[in-house]
Amino acid sequence: MKLDLANPAWRQSLPPTRTVATDAPAAACAFSRDGGTVAFAMGDGGVRLLPADPAAPAPDAAPPLHRGAVLCLIGDPTSDGFVSGGDDGRLLRIAADGGAIEIAQQTGKWFEHLAAHRATGAVAASAGKTAYVLKGGELREFGPHQSTVAGVDFSKDGSRIACAHYGGVTVWSIGQVALPPRRFAWAGSHVAVRWSTDGKFIATGTQENDIHVWRMAQATDMRMQGYPAKVKSLSWSADARFLFTSSQPVFTGWPFAGKGPEGKPPLQFGQEGAGLMTVVAAHPATDYVAGGYESGELQLGDIKSKRSVVIKLADSSPVTCLAWSPDGQKLAAGNDRGDLLVIDLRR
Amino acid sequence: MAQAQVPVTVLTGYLGAGKTTLLNRILSEQHGKKYAVIVNEFGELGIDNDLVVNADEEVFEMNNGCICCTVRGDLIRIIEGLMKRKQKFDGILVETTGLADPGPVAQTFFTDEDVKARTRLDAIVTVVDAKHFLGQLEQGNEAEEQVAFADVILLNKTDLVDPEELAEVEGRIKAINRYARIHRTQKSQVELQAILDKGAFDLDRILEFEPHFLEHGHDHDHEEEVKSLSVTADRPVDPDKFQKWMGALLQLRGQDIFRSKGILAIDGAPKRYVYQGVHMMMDAGWGTPWKEGEKRASKLVFIGRNLDGDNLKRGFEDCLK
Repeated sequence: MKLDLANPAWRQSLPPTRTVATDAPAAACAFSRDGGTVAFAMGDGGVRLLPADPAAPAPDAAPPLHRGAVLCLIGDPTSDGFVSGGDDGRLLRIAADGGAIEIAQQTGKWFEHLAAHRATGAVAASAGKTAYVLKGGELREFGPHQSTVAGVDFSKDGSRIACAHYGGVTVWSIGQVALPPRRFAWAGSHVAVRWSTDGKFIATGTQENDIHVWRMAQATDMRMQGYPAKVKSLSWSADARFLFTSSQPVFTGWPFAGKGPEGKPPLQFGQEGAGLMTVVAAHPATDYVAGGYESGELQLGDIKSKRSVVIKLADSSPVTCLAWSPDGQKLAAGNDRGDLLVIDLRR
Repeated sequence: MAQAQVPVTVLTGYLGAGKTTLLNRILSEQHGKKYAVIVNEFGELGIDNDLVVNADEEVFEMNNGCICCTVRGDLIRIIEGLMKRKQKFDGILVETTGLADPGPVAQTFFTDEDVKARTRLDAIVTVVDAKHFLGQLEQGNEAEEQVAFADVILLNKTDLVDPEELAEVEGRIKAINRYARIHRTQKSQVELQAILDKGAFDLDRILEFEPHFLEHGHDHDHEEEVKSLSVTADRPVDPDKFQKWMGALLQLRGQDIFRSKGILAIDGAPKRYVYQGVHMMMDAGWGTPWKEGEKRASKLVFIGRNLDGDNLKRGFEDCLK
């Protein structure tokens, strides 16, 4: 691992980067399971596949797979391809060569949220008020919920899914034995959900400019307020010691080690001046964290040293998506204007 | 980064008033424009457009302790989703259910930062069934509130009533909301420029248009009545005093004040200060410049329940220089 923010080279030149300009907003991005390909969900219905190596030649854009916008995308946990969902109500499985097959279709609904669980090979998706789990070729429905599902995520062991919606979170057991769903209630509209990497907490971002966290074991909860905008992006550090959140002008991580964040200020560091953070993505293994900003700026931070570097590659358009490669050595980002980036951070 | 705000037209009207007919008319006319249409699952079927999106009428109560502050969570999500499309729209049409309170829909466009950045509430268009409106008023608050929120009213099905009844219906509408433009229609036939792209902040016209101001006085008011009234001033407004007064007023009376709009001549400012609010939520910005030699007058319009005209007048006068 050569990621080293203390290395002066970081401040002198940019790491090797691929930049592809398109003319449609990027809604999501993800690396394939083998780390060889990165895919972007595009507003013209296309899924743009690029080699993860910035030096490798980039193929031309393929014809659109969805009608309308692709709203969500993840790496397929069972292959080196991807899964995408669109506002055409279709859920597609995309092979590494770009060929696609339809997994589900919900006429008049949008597939808006996806999550993958690598160890079990399961994929969770949501369309309208219903969540779906695709596992071993079987598609199962969970719901309908009382309102539209605004986020899905797997538990650490992949045995449950958390669905965020108006009024809280519902947790479903997705094993063969049908257990009753468990409700975690909190008033308001929950617009993002992330289960902690150690499985102990479920965090949501809300329409009302705060975040909410439930402790699974005790079923107690906490609320962190003071955000200037709704919190749409959440990311737990690899060791679950910090919950990073968007919608602040710097990296903001709530400490969950020991007794938890109650009564403690969040860890805040990074360089102000790029507006609010729109997307945050903690590194899959180390103490690094990446943030994308309203201004188009990317920042890379180190929890330990509280150092950060600015990777200003594209300008002026809000960053809409960020993804780390499975080995944590590459970072992909897309923005609202359609600039797609893949950065090789290995130096 | 900043892109043009997409105008949003909200269509309301009681069940069977003619909203879907109007929607189909808008969509089928040869205007060369592309509209996204957001309907609700309980709505009437038969809308002919491939950009129809189902909404769930998911009303979201804000946790600020105020019962009148509600927004539509589904609308926020749908608009965010629409903005991810490469192909942008000339406008968005939101059809509400026949029994819906237009408040949460309208408030959505004042509350959510992402929605505010990408769209602007252009107008609330209410379709009124001339034959059944008076009966609907007896049945509940919905028909009355739909009229109260309106910027434009289609007084529809005029062929089904005689002239006297039509005049009575129109009189009731104006007693509730004298600032909305009324178009008499049959089968929702109306020139599209009468309802689309009106410009929510282009209030000059609406505020100048007040021929019935003296016709419906306060003499026949009774409790619980929804009505509209305006206050005017020839002297410039002190912006700090105005903010304070309006903030306190809406906090106290926001639930009863459905809509408030105004054009203010701020002391020393070269441009009009344009203000509009839905319940407790408000938005304001600079409008067109005052012309050379133009009389700088301010006007505020309130539409709501139990409005105390004298009190509003006194409050506004205290904000003047």
